[in-house]
Amino acid sequence: MDCTEARELLHDLRRRRLDAARAEAVVGHLQGCSACRREDESEALLDRLLLERLPRPAAPAPLRGRLAALAAGAPVPVPPVRRTRRWPRLLAPALAAGVLVAGSALVLQRRGAEEGALSRLAGEAVSDHLRLLASAHPYEVESSITHQVKPWFAGKLDIAPAVPGDVGDLRLQGGAVGYFLDRKAAVVSYALRRHRVTLLAFPAAGLAWPEADRSAGGVPARATSLRGFDVVLWRQGELGYALVSDAEDLGAVAAQVAPATAQ
Amino acid sequence: MRMAIVPGGAREGANEDPLRHADGLYQLARHLARDAADAEDLVQETYARAFRAMERFSPGTDLRAWLFRILRNAFLDTRRRESRSPLDRDADLEAVAERPAPEEGALRGDRELERLRGIVGSEIEAALRQLSEEARLVVLLDLEGLAEAEIADVMGCAAGTVKSRLSRGRAALRELLADYRR
Repeated sequence: MDCTEARELLHDLRRRRLDAARAEAVVGHLQGCSACRREDESEALLDRLLLERLPRPAAPAPLRGRLAALAAGAPVPVPPVRRTRRWPRLLAPALAAGVLVAGSALVLQRRGAEEGALSRLAGEAVSDHLRLLASAHPYEVESSITHQVKPWFAGKLDIAPAVPGDVGDLRLQGGAVGYFLDRKAAVVSYALRRHRVTLLAFPAAGLAWPEADRSAGGVPARATSLRGFDVVLWRQGELGYALVSDAEDLGAVAAQVAPATAQ
Repeated sequence: MRMAIVPGGAREGANEDPLRHADGLYQLARHLARDAADAEDLVQETYARAFRAMERFSPGTDLRAWLFRILRNAFLDTRRRESRSPLDRDADLEAVAERPAPEEGALRGDRELERLRGIVGSEIEAALRQLSEEARLVVLLDLEGLAEAEIADVMGCAAGTVKSRLSRGRAALRELLADYRR
């Protein structure tokens, strides 16, 4: 494989979209070509910059309220004009008709601070998950055995995170040390059929924590969706846990994982 | 028939809640629209169109890619209506900002890596703004995890075009970001 061919495939290699044979060929080329290795490092660094430092604000709560009103059947704007003039006209019929969905926007506004905490934690969890998905080397310890992964964290973290093993279709893949906001975290990776699932464990002290809205196997938890991923958050003593995936049944998985994180 | 909407992003049966993609759409809109208010307008217009066209959505296909495609079309339509003729728009898309890829070797090496490591978020946003809209979209959709074929579907072009735009867009972005640290 020459440099031209390798460079055309570098992006797909980082996105894990190459079959094993082609991935091996590209990796083999990289091992013997410092120029292509530097190109790959620069591209990988650009990925990290975009994933870690590009601001990713959540859709504002008032917008979410308006979208919920739209979903409930509020009139559709045609043609679009400036929002400041448009929304009062659009929402008036819905409000007049007593559509209660608009009330959810007010609830969201009252809960602004709590939503901020939820958005901050979930946003960081999703970013961490995306970093793993984009990483060519997501594990520092690769093992499907809890008793190999859990001891690996000893001495690398100030916490002793629980590392639940296989439950249902969930399969332990490995772990790594990462960061959650301003603190070190245990990053545990699982496979759930064709989906990747990330469990983050981190010290919860000093973090604003959203109110629980459900039980995850008896553990009070809060769930949300962000950027196409589901996130379930819960606390166990001094530790916070975040479970992230695009798998459709993450709530059911959390109901099995959360109890297994009891200290 | 409207898709089931379940507050909080849960799903009802096999139906996926379209609002669970609001954050991703809003983030993309922020990089296309002039300001945050316009970005909100664009997302709202996207969902309005999506709900009107929900019967044309094929279950089993990628809802998120479908919504991104609607957002892109809504953005182009809004801009055409508000400020330009279609000819102007086409000229803009073709000519304005598709920065050429840097010359082979010009940006390679440790100095580029060193410069990139010091970049902050606002500099990345500013650099993205300097890319053409098409290049910006391709780079951001790739970042959202869409495969080239999915991006091609959103953009209405061939997958090969996506590949070359993505490569050139990312190279231009690296060059712009490295410029901030010179």
